[in-house]
This record gives sequence, structure tokens and C-alpha cells, in this order.
Amino acid sequence: MKISTKQMLNVLYVLSWVIFLGLCIEAGGFIFNAFFTQVLNPVGAKYFWQEIDLSSLYKYDHVAFFTETFVMCAIAVMKAYLFYLIVKILYDKKLNTYQPFNEETGRFVLKVSYVSLLIGAISWCGCEFTEWLVRQGVVMPDIQYLRLSGGDVWLLMGVTLFVIAQIFQRGIEIQTENDLTI
Amino acid sequence: MSIIVNLDVMMAKRKMSLNELSEKVGLTLSNLSILKTGKAKAIRFNTLDAICKVLDCHPGDILEYKNE
Repeated sequence: MKISTKQMLNVLYVLSWVIFLGLCIEAGGFIFNAFFTQVLNPVGAKYFWQEIDLSSLYKYDHVAFFTETFVMCAIAVMKAYLFYLIVKILYDKKLNTYQPFNEETGRFVLKVSYVSLLIGAISWCGCEFTEWLVRQGVVMPDIQYLRLSGGDVWLLMGVTLFVIAQIFQRGIEIQTENDLTI
Repeated sequence: MSIIVNLDVMMAKRKMSLNELSEKVGLTLSNLSILKTGKAKAIRFNTLDAICKVLDCHPGDILEYKNE
């Protein structure tokens, strides 16, 4: 049985929704726990999120704790935003398979590339900061648990998408020209 | 753009409506409208040929160059 583009898009739509909801829960959890620990009860640092224990960091320096949690929250929010963009374009049915080179899709690819680049850059900074904290003698969880790993992959994806977006822009120009040739 | 489409002038001279021209040339009304309003980016030779045949004119009667 041949799987059509429409069926594939439907599967991707459901998957995107599931991932988007998961990322929203994670981002919400990070933001709530960061706020809870800093404003209400410092014990929240020990049970920050799943296997993440940031009590050592909290004891070391409050500003460092704020920076680390801020980076984690920012990455989680941007990942959720990335999937929001995917869900939105699939929900609005803006992916026209008959005329794929339209302004909406071009903007979408460009936005996704910018967000990926930003996630990559912040992940890399967060990673470096965590390594610096470890060198200062702070007991830190693995960067994988802190959701800071894979910065290089995000950067690679961002650059690739950026190049695709530039090619897409040319495709849009050619299609517009073709549409306006009588 | 410096190229001006004078299709409406020629249509008025020949007393031909857009509907009639569309039927005779075999172009859709929306495409003719794009051409008439100057939104078109290009025109195919066979389209120009059909329009000139129906309006009994030369390409220069329809297209004009104005230096801006």
C-alpha cells in the first residue's frame, strides 16, 4: 500500500501535537519549579524535574541557579514554540502540495531555522556554563537531564534550514513569476 | 515597470468587452484582468498572437514603453 502525502501529513500532525503538549508540560514544569524554588521554597531545587537535582547549585550561588534555570526554561519554551509553528501550519492547512512554493511556507521554514539556530546557540552557552560550574566544584546533573545536550545538532539543523529557506525564497519568486505569466 | 499594457484602450477602440475577448482568445477572465491591470510579469508569444489576431492590431498597439 502506498502512503500518500496527505496521510503522512496527518500522522505528522498527530505526532506534532503529542510532542508539542509534552514540551509545553516540560516548559511549564521548569518555569513553575524555577519560580517555586526562588520565591517560595528552596527545597524545590532538590526535586527540580525528574532526575534533576539542583540543590548543590542553589547552595553554591543563587544567581548561577537563576541563570541555569533561565537557560533551561528558555530552551524548553523555544522547543515548544518550534512545535507550535509545526502544529499551526499543519492545522491551518497552509502546506499546499499543488503550489508548495508559497509565502506562508517560506516564512515557516525561515522561522523554524531562526528558532533552531537560537536553540542551538543557547544550548551551547548553557552547556559551557554547566561545564564551568562543574569545574567550580558544583555537583551538577548530566547535561542530558538538564535538556542542554544536542546544541551542535540544533545549530546544524538551523543552518541547513536557513539554506533551504533561501532556496525556497527563489522558488517562490519563480512560482509567482510563472503564475503571473499570461 | 516601464512597460505599459494598453489592452483596455484597444478593447475600447474595437468596442469589445472583456467577456467577448476572453471567449475569443481563450483566456480566463482573471488572467485577462491581470494583463489589463498591468500585474502580469510576462506574456507568452502565443497569447500575444491570439490577442493581436482578435483585436486586429500589432503588439506595439498593446504594449508601450515609457521611460520612468
